[in-house]
Amino acid sequence: MTEPEQAGSERVNGGLKMMSRATYVREALLKNLFLLCAIVAVAAVALIFVFTIARGWEVVKDPGLAAFLGGAEWSSTLGRFGILPLVAGTLAITLGSLVLGAPLAIGTAIFLSEIASPRMRSIVRPAVEMLAGVPSVVYGFFGLVILRPIVAEITGGMGFGTLTASVILAVMIVPTIATLTEDALGSVPSGIREASYAMGATTWQTIYKVLLPAAKIGIIDATILGMGRAIGETMAVVMVAGNAPQFFKGLGAPIATLTSQIVIDMSYATGTHKTALFGLAIILFLISMGLVALVRALSRLNEKKA
Amino acid sequence: MGKRWTNRIALGVLWLCGLTTVVVLGAVIVYVFVRGIGQITPEFIFTAPHGVNAEGGIGPTIVATIYVTGLAMLIVTPIAVLAAVYLAEYAVQGRLVNIIRFAADTLASVPSIVMGLFGFALFYEAMGLGFSVLSGALALSFLMLPIVMRATEEAIRAVPRFIRWGSYGLGASKWQTVSKIVLPSAMPRILTGLILAMGRAVGETAVVIFTMGQAIYTPISPLDPGRSMTVHLYTLAMEGINMDAAYGTALLLMVMILLFNVSARWLAARNRRLKG
Amino acid sequence: MALTGCTAGGERQEVIVTGSTTLLPITEVSGEMYTESHDGIAILVSGMGSSAGIESVSKGSSDIGTSSRELKDAELELGLEDTPVAYDAIAVIVHPDNPVSDLSTLEVRSIFAGVITNWSEVGGPDLPIGLVNRDEASGTREAFSKIIMDDAQFDRGAVVLPGTGQVRSVIADVQGAIGYISLGFVTDDVKAVAIDGVEPSEATVVSGAYPVQRVLHFFTKEDLSDIARDYIAYVLSPEVQDTIVRDAGFIPITAKEAVGD
Repeated sequence: MTEPEQAGSERVNGGLKMMSRATYVREALLKNLFLLCAIVAVAAVALIFVFTIARGWEVVKDPGLAAFLGGAEWSSTLGRFGILPLVAGTLAITLGSLVLGAPLAIGTAIFLSEIASPRMRSIVRPAVEMLAGVPSVVYGFFGLVILRPIVAEITGGMGFGTLTASVILAVMIVPTIATLTEDALGSVPSGIREASYAMGATTWQTIYKVLLPAAKIGIIDATILGMGRAIGETMAVVMVAGNAPQFFKGLGAPIATLTSQIVIDMSYATGTHKTALFGLAIILFLISMGLVALVRALSRLNEKKA
Repeated sequence: MGKRWTNRIALGVLWLCGLTTVVVLGAVIVYVFVRGIGQITPEFIFTAPHGVNAEGGIGPTIVATIYVTGLAMLIVTPIAVLAAVYLAEYAVQGRLVNIIRFAADTLASVPSIVMGLFGFALFYEAMGLGFSVLSGALALSFLMLPIVMRATEEAIRAVPRFIRWGSYGLGASKWQTVSKIVLPSAMPRILTGLILAMGRAVGETAVVIFTMGQAIYTPISPLDPGRSMTVHLYTLAMEGINMDAAYGTALLLMVMILLFNVSARWLAARNRRLKG
Repeated sequence: MALTGCTAGGERQEVIVTGSTTLLPITEVSGEMYTESHDGIAILVSGMGSSAGIESVSKGSSDIGTSSRELKDAELELGLEDTPVAYDAIAVIVHPDNPVSDLSTLEVRSIFAGVITNWSEVGGPDLPIGLVNRDEASGTREAFSKIIMDDAQFDRGAVVLPGTGQVRSVIADVQGAIGYISLGFVTDDVKAVAIDGVEPSEATVVSGAYPVQRVLHFFTKEDLSDIARDYIAYVLSPEVQDTIVRDAGFIPITAKEAVGD
């Protein structure tokens, strides 16, 4: 990976000696300008982190770290800001969406990479990409008008809650997981496949015994990133989850998540309440940063092994 | 025998997965299309909503959406492209590059609601920009930065090395090579990335609702507030005041996003043909 | 031309109205009509919830904060001027096929507190009750909580929806559901039940017989721009009160004076 650029920079270093001083200065200035732009990305992350922390850190004073992280009740009227029900809600729908969405996504990726004819592929792959492009409010809207009444029929409740949110989120994470899994399968050397077929293995045996183990880390990475998408998704969840900050009471019962609670409360929160909402944002930020770090660590592990 | 059957069943299931994905997309598109197409009239596209039930059109929300996306694009493109040039052409693997990449990955995975809250805290509260197109565009540019950066970097890396050698061989400087040779050949792929990032921005809700506000207004100055199409759809759906307009808005949104997607694919395909 | 957020010097061309979603039908439509007859003036209306409206006017980011509830104790110190613009009744609504059509205040309270959980307990069919609540930003919830709940806690398992219309459409769709919305939003899809034997209507609100009613407010600061003042006068004029306010299902602020209240 790093080979081409290293070759390139050697060349430049060699060439620089022949350059005029003006050219040299200009080149150096430009390089630093580009570096500055690249550092903007780092600065952006730092800025987000610093600002959310600046607005939210006071949760350690009021309601206090223990009451915030360990509290079992989120109610602004009572002034209680315990995040456990929200964490439980996020976990429930994330788990639900992974159970429904990950097999579908991985299956779709295997289909695309190993089974589909070029013609089929040219239909399914754009479909997967376009699923990623559908705005989350449209998913939420679809869930609200189509899925909610169906779920209400099935569960006997009002159709808002874990099940509806999980199904909608499952669809939303399919593109993330499928695309990355397909990449992982694509990077398995084709020699391994051919060897397996040469030994008389069926397509499925090759997939199951050879390809999936070889692409394991990549698939785990894909699933983790899909999970990140599910945890962070907001608008679609607000529209179908029912937004009751209570612990899981069944698939048809309403539930609230870390993200949905922010949207519901943000318009009127003041004082401690607003601080607590920024506290939720800090937690979401840490979760997403943790997941990215995990994926990078896994990939590095994989590279070392290979 | 068992082996054959297992194979057939397993492949059948995988086929089903692929088809399900297509069917789900088809269902969403067809449903929104069928319910929304009756709404799409010139009046719906160009006039403002009025009356108790938000009758009429959604014109101001379309203007606000295009305005905020375009402004975000203007802000983010130079920074993201030059950052990618640094990563692809100048940077030597090392700690700094690692940190930059980690930051970009993190930025790409920060939930949009966090981005929205951050935008509210920085641009609305701290900088006093109010609910405005500018606040919205600045917040959106954070969202688009990693997407454009990655697409550009990949595009630059895809330019064959020998093209550069030719340029250096003729005595061109690094910047001359990058600006005259590398960037032009990477341009179609960079554009593809830009278009996809714009698609993301158009479909974004949580970021703009807390930065651009919800007032139905045709923004003229960047400091004017506005309501994006996504926020309008959210409001219509949750207030349940005019479901017909909600379907129409959803359809227009989908059409815009599909257009972005199709033009990105068309660019990519044309590029392949030219090269091939 | 736009001078949003710029208060220092020069006349503002915009009136920023932020607040209750309940008042949106009044503010949006009257704003529109006012803009049409006054060139170069824009009335910018946002429905962010009553609390947000009060906060935003007190901080100076809006000219008018609209609210469907009274000021809380902490907000009284903000020194806001109160202009009542309309009366509103909050209707308790159920599915149209639900045979229950009269509930006592206590029954409604017990239902929303989660103590009564089946319609058979209030003379209806053996059907579990589905609770639909509003979000805590809602002034409707605030008023309902004050008048009906008497500060008893809402059942935390209730579905929370951030918009009036969704409450209505869910209740129109689910047999056992119950919720509350502004009388102005009640349509034939749902049934408004009588409270303590009194049906919600303009007559019962004006006479004071229907208990779940409230006043809709415009809150402003002293240094209000002339344009904003003129707009408020317009909202209070018969032109708006007798048409827009009534069309939206609210009761004109002038109605009670007419019967000598």
